[in-house]
Amino acid sequence: MSSDANQEQSVFHIISGQDNGERIESRVLEEKIQEAVANGERSLKILAFGQHGIGGRLWKAGDEKVHIRVEGPPGQRLGSLGFDNTTIEVDGPASDDTGWLNAGAEIIVQGNAGNGTCNGMAQGAVRVAGNIGARGMTMTKSNPRFAPPELWVLGSVGDYFGEFMAGGIAVICGVNPQTPGNVLGYRPFVGMVGGKAFFRGPHGGYSQGDAKLEPIGDADWQWLTENVPVFLQRIQREELMGELTDRTQWQMIVARSPHEKKTRRTRPMAAFHQDVWDQELGRGGIIGDLSDQDRSQIPVVTTGDLRRFVPVWENRKYAAPCEASCPSGIPVQERWRLVREGKMDEAVDLALSYTPFPATVCGYLCPNLCMSSCTRQSAFMVPVNIRGLGQASVKAAIGEMPPLSGRKVAVVGGGPAGISVAWQLRRSGHEATVYDTSALLGGKIASAIPSSRIPEDVVSAELERVRKVIPHVHLQQDVQQDDIVQLCEDYDFVVLATGAQKPRVVPVPGKERLITALDFLTDAKVGRARVGKRVVIIGAGNVGCDVATEAHRLGAEDITLIDIQEPLSFGKEREEAEKVGAKFRFPCFTKEITEKGVVLQDGELLPAETVFISIGDAPDLSFIPEDIATEQGFVVVNEHFQTTDSRVFAIGDMVKPGLLTDAIGAGRKAAAAITEMLEGRRPVSDTRQMIDKRRISLEYFDPRILDYDDIDHCGSQCSSCGSCRDCGICVAVCPNSAISRAETPEGGYEYVVDAERCIGCGFCAGACPCGIWDLVENTPL
Amino acid sequence: MQPEGPIAPFSLSIKDLPWQIAWDKDKCTLCGRCTAACPVNAIELGVFRQRQVAPAVGILEAPANEYKLYYGIRQKTDPAYACVGCAMCNMVCPNDAIIPMHGDEIDKLRMHNNRGGQARRRGGRRNDPGSLLDQIKFIRISMLTDPALDAGRHEFELRTLLGRVLPPEQNLKFMAENGWTPPVREIYPLMIGGMSFGALSPNMWEGLQMGVAYLNEELGMPVRMCTGEGGCPPRLLRSRFLKYVILQIASGYFGWDEIIHALPEMKEDPCAIEIKYGQGAKPGDGGLLMWYKVNKLIAAIRGVPEGVSLPSPPTHQTQYSIEESVAKMIQSMYMAWGFRVPVYPKISASTTSLAVLNNLTRNPYAGALAIDGEDGGTGAAYNVSMNHMGHPIASNIRDCYLNLTKVGMQNEIPIIAGGGVGKTGNMAANAAALIMLGASAVQVGKYIMQAAAGCLGSESDRCNICNIGLCPKGITSQDPRLYRRLDVDQVAERVVDVFLAFDTELRKILAPLGRSTSLPIGMSDALGIASKEAADRLQINYVV
Repeated sequence: MSSDANQEQSVFHIISGQDNGERIESRVLEEKIQEAVANGERSLKILAFGQHGIGGRLWKAGDEKVHIRVEGPPGQRLGSLGFDNTTIEVDGPASDDTGWLNAGAEIIVQGNAGNGTCNGMAQGAVRVAGNIGARGMTMTKSNPRFAPPELWVLGSVGDYFGEFMAGGIAVICGVNPQTPGNVLGYRPFVGMVGGKAFFRGPHGGYSQGDAKLEPIGDADWQWLTENVPVFLQRIQREELMGELTDRTQWQMIVARSPHEKKTRRTRPMAAFHQDVWDQELGRGGIIGDLSDQDRSQIPVVTTGDLRRFVPVWENRKYAAPCEASCPSGIPVQERWRLVREGKMDEAVDLALSYTPFPATVCGYLCPNLCMSSCTRQSAFMVPVNIRGLGQASVKAAIGEMPPLSGRKVAVVGGGPAGISVAWQLRRSGHEATVYDTSALLGGKIASAIPSSRIPEDVVSAELERVRKVIPHVHLQQDVQQDDIVQLCEDYDFVVLATGAQKPRVVPVPGKERLITALDFLTDAKVGRARVGKRVVIIGAGNVGCDVATEAHRLGAEDITLIDIQEPLSFGKEREEAEKVGAKFRFPCFTKEITEKGVVLQDGELLPAETVFISIGDAPDLSFIPEDIATEQGFVVVNEHFQTTDSRVFAIGDMVKPGLLTDAIGAGRKAAAAITEMLEGRRPVSDTRQMIDKRRISLEYFDPRILDYDDIDHCGSQCSSCGSCRDCGICVAVCPNSAISRAETPEGGYEYVVDAERCIGCGFCAGACPCGIWDLVENTPL
Repeated sequence: MQPEGPIAPFSLSIKDLPWQIAWDKDKCTLCGRCTAACPVNAIELGVFRQRQVAPAVGILEAPANEYKLYYGIRQKTDPAYACVGCAMCNMVCPNDAIIPMHGDEIDKLRMHNNRGGQARRRGGRRNDPGSLLDQIKFIRISMLTDPALDAGRHEFELRTLLGRVLPPEQNLKFMAENGWTPPVREIYPLMIGGMSFGALSPNMWEGLQMGVAYLNEELGMPVRMCTGEGGCPPRLLRSRFLKYVILQIASGYFGWDEIIHALPEMKEDPCAIEIKYGQGAKPGDGGLLMWYKVNKLIAAIRGVPEGVSLPSPPTHQTQYSIEESVAKMIQSMYMAWGFRVPVYPKISASTTSLAVLNNLTRNPYAGALAIDGEDGGTGAAYNVSMNHMGHPIASNIRDCYLNLTKVGMQNEIPIIAGGGVGKTGNMAANAAALIMLGASAVQVGKYIMQAAAGCLGSESDRCNICNIGLCPKGITSQDPRLYRRLDVDQVAERVVDVFLAFDTELRKILAPLGRSTSLPIGMSDALGIASKEAADRLQINYVV
């Protein structure tokens, strides 16, 4: 109490917190204070006795200053909701929540203040001459309409100071602090978003995420030096002026801005990786000792070695379906390519590399398996027609034959198989001599195919071409075992190709009356055959159909073909037979042949003057040396048509009954094997597989074409399965310009991929009309 | 594709597939990125022929047929190339021209993905979008009653104990009699469950480990990660980071000789040893790391030759009973680190869980019991195991916890819950529910894969090709062309993000309970559910 106490007594309006020695309620004291202010009192002395909320809400004084002096212990929330016209001075310590929600009052505490000092304060100032308790300066605000609130503490602050502080200025002077080692208390400034705090003395850490230490700038220092004297004057400690104006002793904490809070993470992961992780584990991290694989990040879409899939240009890796299904192995698609390139002669001549009978067989007699398997069929499109190109091949030129090597091969049998093997051997430079009992080469082609099926001049032209190349020994008698043994001695290799000459017959009474199809067709060809008006043919296969057609030509009127099952005849032969009115009956089981005709098991008589049998022919193996294995009437061969005697080959119907093209193909394969062996190599087979038809894009073609105008039209519609058409679609469709066409040193071309541009999308494979491009897994890294 | 070809029973149309590619011809720029990115080659460039018939007005002349061609993206219908819905095509498309759409009915493919009599196998999850854990609400929120805490302001240190916790008087007695007490670790209650080096790509695994190390060393969160079965890289075994690692031993025993060889050189003890007897995704079934995943690196870590398939049988071959497992394995594992490292078994949630737990209560070596529920994920399993076998985690954990309370040992053997935590994205809520049902800690795998590495799986049979090494995000592939899509640092960063966010969410749930340090294990009065049956079964509040 100051010396002029008496003077004060006379100025202040005194309100006591007791009534007759009893503490009055906070409500009653508040009413008394409000009444006094309303009555014009502007200086009040409150003799407090623990009442709460003293000194707040004195708005009734308007702009006039109100001075409240508190003597005795105030209760909680001193000056709460205070107005800026109010100054409150406590002559000792204050309790909790001093200045709660203060909106402008200046509150001076000449001692310590409790917990929660300034909680929620928005304006005004609280000046404490001692220390304060926990949670001071929490939730304080700063309203731009007013000056920021201030908290001045001479000593230190308690724990959790400045939580969620959103504005205002706290000054902690650190003079005789309660906690000398840490003037800011434990865990200050959590959730701080605004304001600043000046402090003197050591601190024990603060919420780094919310607040930061900043150097005190000149403006801040100016503010501080202007206001420190005010504080010292209010708490009557001016003697500290020198101590509190040493700039070097002060520090300042300010709230981080929202932007700064986002980047509060202590250490970037990359730095942790390098400085902590790799430091402890070694270069390359946990597996750096086990692998030197680059593991750095790559994009999803990659090029070069990092592509998961790579395109490959598989030109001619696979056989086209036409080529693969042709027993003679003719690359039909190659012929169409030559046609497209305008090389008609080459297209025609190419066939001679595969068959001596491109016109006879491909053009007339073959059921053309190439066309049945044509990829176009799989989309209901009409297959490319080979017949025209086949027929044109009658003019195919042999070209120059290679000089003879001196190696010799004997071929027994001058039919299509024998001619084929001899033809191919000669083309490889080896001499192959054909031994045949017939005066003319050609076997069944020459002797047993009805002229209705093929013009005579075509056959003779192709046989003439053959004769120019192949030496022919005309045997006067059938070959015997000894002859084969002799041939083996005289030649490097012997090829047996005598076909199936022994007609099969049914073992029924009267079988001697039967005329075999082969005899009849051979006789008919040379004009020696005779037939009755009514004819029955047992066996309704294609040969039976030929018999029917020929019998009709020779005058038969009522022609019946019978079979024990649904006839297997098809194609041209069947059509021709049906055209001449032949009837097909099945199932019919023959019981007997009489002069009246054929008697069936059920007793029915099929009247006939002539009865033919055409249930197939069997090979005559009587001349085969015993060391050559046979099975069920046929010669046993391996994939190269080699018999169990390694120097003897067997091809054609001796091995397995088949089409002309089968016999020709067998001859070609046997010749290839012999050639290899003659040159001292192991024979190899063509292991190319047929291309997967799904790789071909038929969408490029018009599906409504039913017929082809000419050979050129055919060529244009061939999808060239597995062989590049050189169309350049892949170059155009590649999204990354990775594909280009390159000339090869041999004068050809290829399409190549620039790995550094390619992303492995497979568009080339998807777009290629011919199925050349494939997308395959890249080599594992 | 030949529409005219014959069809087979397994010929499917796009409609029959679970995922259908919607491709927009107008937007497509034919850049090839989608087909390059598709992990299963489900799409390709197609050549399309379009016909226009233009009849003349008045029919004065025959209409002309005009064909034009265009290129586009075609979806394959061969079951072997069925779209898996991963949407990588969409991710790389510059024009938003392509996206897989889920079929509007049950697909037919599921009846045909057993070619050659091979039952379907896949990776991923159970494909059941429902989650009981999601239905559990936290209904005890203190405002003016308990000392309510502020999740943002108060200090939290959420920790749990791993290891056998003996009561104080028993601990003293135990020490006096044995000269030893069981080791106990104080760890973060969310653990990364066992995913092996091999099942995961090198970049994924290292990213996870590095994230865990960061959480420990930079952020002070004692997060632990289990290796899964497949060994542990030698460098990690010899580093201080080993203390953040729980080494797993399982029926294949892969990599254990390398671990044993590293014993003399270890700077730190591992956090714990987990003995795996089962996992939630495929209870009763084993694992098989296919030969093509066993490259040089995997082989070195597992201690096997390259290029051989590595089977982990469904059972430990020489152990025929709980007693034997406990006696043999737990004790032997303790011996390896001088009884300083807790050892605990992990089993699939099952009606037999209680029997295992009861046995463990009688064994002072048992450090915990980890139980993996039916919603656990996996790298590879039979479809039928994944979808139809196993026990939901909630009731299994609850039964075990209540059993422990019955015998008065609820504070002694920690139960670790796993399987479906965060399956719909609510990891903290699910974890808190399991803790309040009685779990001391929670193991999580799938959520981590999704959050840390962007796994594309969902509960609708999307992607699920973890088993074939073609993971489009590079998470489960050993092919550098795929796993290099994943950046180690980014994975680690995401692990950190996930744990920080989880921590915040867990605080938000626990603060109103007045918990800031000790977990509310078994505090079931805080739980409610709007299903009377579930409430009765779990003995929690029924609230509507």
